[in-house]
Amino acid sequence: MFNSIAPVLQSSGPAITSTGMAALAVGLAALGSGYAERGIGAAAVGAMAEDESLFGRGLILTVLPETLVILALVVVFLTLG
Amino acid sequence: MRVEPDGATNYEYVTARVRARRAKLFDEDDYRKLVRMGPGEIARFMEETEYETEMNELGARFSGVDLIEYALNRNLAKHFDDLLEWADGKLYDYVVRYLRKFDAWNVKTTLRGLYSGASTAEIEDDLIGAGEFSDAFLSRLVNASSIEAVVEQLDGTIFGDAAADAYELYEEMGVLVPLENAVDRAYYAELMGNLPNEPNHAEELYIQFLRAEIDFRNLRNALRISRSGADIDPAEFYIDGGRLFAATELRQLAANPDELVARVRESTYGDELDAALDGLADAEDLIGFEHALDAALLEYSDTLSNRYPLSVCPVLAYVLAKEREVDNIRAIARGREAGLDAEEIEAELVVQ
Repeated sequence: MFNSIAPVLQSSGPAITSTGMAALAVGLAALGSGYAERGIGAAAVGAMAEDESLFGRGLILTVLPETLVILALVVVFLTLG
Repeated sequence: MRVEPDGATNYEYVTARVRARRAKLFDEDDYRKLVRMGPGEIARFMEETEYETEMNELGARFSGVDLIEYALNRNLAKHFDDLLEWADGKLYDYVVRYLRKFDAWNVKTTLRGLYSGASTAEIEDDLIGAGEFSDAFLSRLVNASSIEAVVEQLDGTIFGDAAADAYELYEEMGVLVPLENAVDRAYYAELMGNLPNEPNHAEELYIQFLRAEIDFRNLRNALRISRSGADIDPAEFYIDGGRLFAATELRQLAANPDELVARVRESTYGDELDAALDGLADAEDLIGFEHALDAALLEYSDTLSNRYPLSVCPVLAYVLAKEREVDNIRAIARGREAGLDAEEIEAELVVQ
């Protein structure tokens, strides 16, 4: 079995390529914004339940953390470009 | 009845809703208008506010000041039930801890009603369904045939053991005092029981707030006893869990209000209470003193809610503010009915 793994371990080049790193960057950024949206979303729904006119404001505040993912996408294009 | 809540705590959702409701409470301008109205006008004014549903529901059965009072109670119950419905996890535990005082109130009302031979409907009208007890459980309590049956019903609730112990004393003495005291003690024991061992900062302040509540209750009891001149030892009414006084000190402090004020000022929450304590020192009569205490608690809870927006503090501040509003409107309605003029009623209000 060791013989079959050895060539893989010995092969040169990084374990994670720049594409992989870029994917990781987007993934982590999405995780972060998802966590932020969890709290904001809960508060926004609570506020909307009391006062429906807050829908627009609640929606904007909820999607604001999405900018994190967009910034991460910029990183992807810079890396891959 | 939920006893051990579990799951994640949803501070964001509950505090957002609570803040929206807080903003709808009556402000100084509303009170200024209300104190110049007669009971009929007050009722009409309330029909156009928050209290519309309750006023319409009860309008056919009651009128005048009774209508206002029952609508207030029902509205209070609705809002506090909502709180319990929304809150999950630890937050539920923290909120229900305080709201159980309405359970204690309901149990005592039922006991007194049965003792005095009031009809079921009369007792039901005086209940405030804001605590943890469900409506079905409350109606079982009210429909119990005897005081013993009420005590049996309480088995399994936080009041169960204490009430069962006190029942023997009640049978011996034939007065309700031991049962009522047992219910109150059970409430305060539960208020301070099972709190987190290593609280974070917001929880620590919440615990401090509960202690302040107990301290103020002790203070108030001591003052009432000393002013009434009755030969009762204040220490007998001492509630455990506060941090300002020990049972033995209370008697000595009760005789000297100045020393009491100095004592509160020196304590850790003295800074937040400074303004209210000045009012407390100036207050000449007991009622003024008690209002100053209420204002102090309100101010304290507000400070906490601004400092820790994502904690139980804003919810607690809302509960206090709502209770205050209901008390204020009741005072105005009763005051107008008794023919007091606007200035006298304004002195009875606690407005922030």
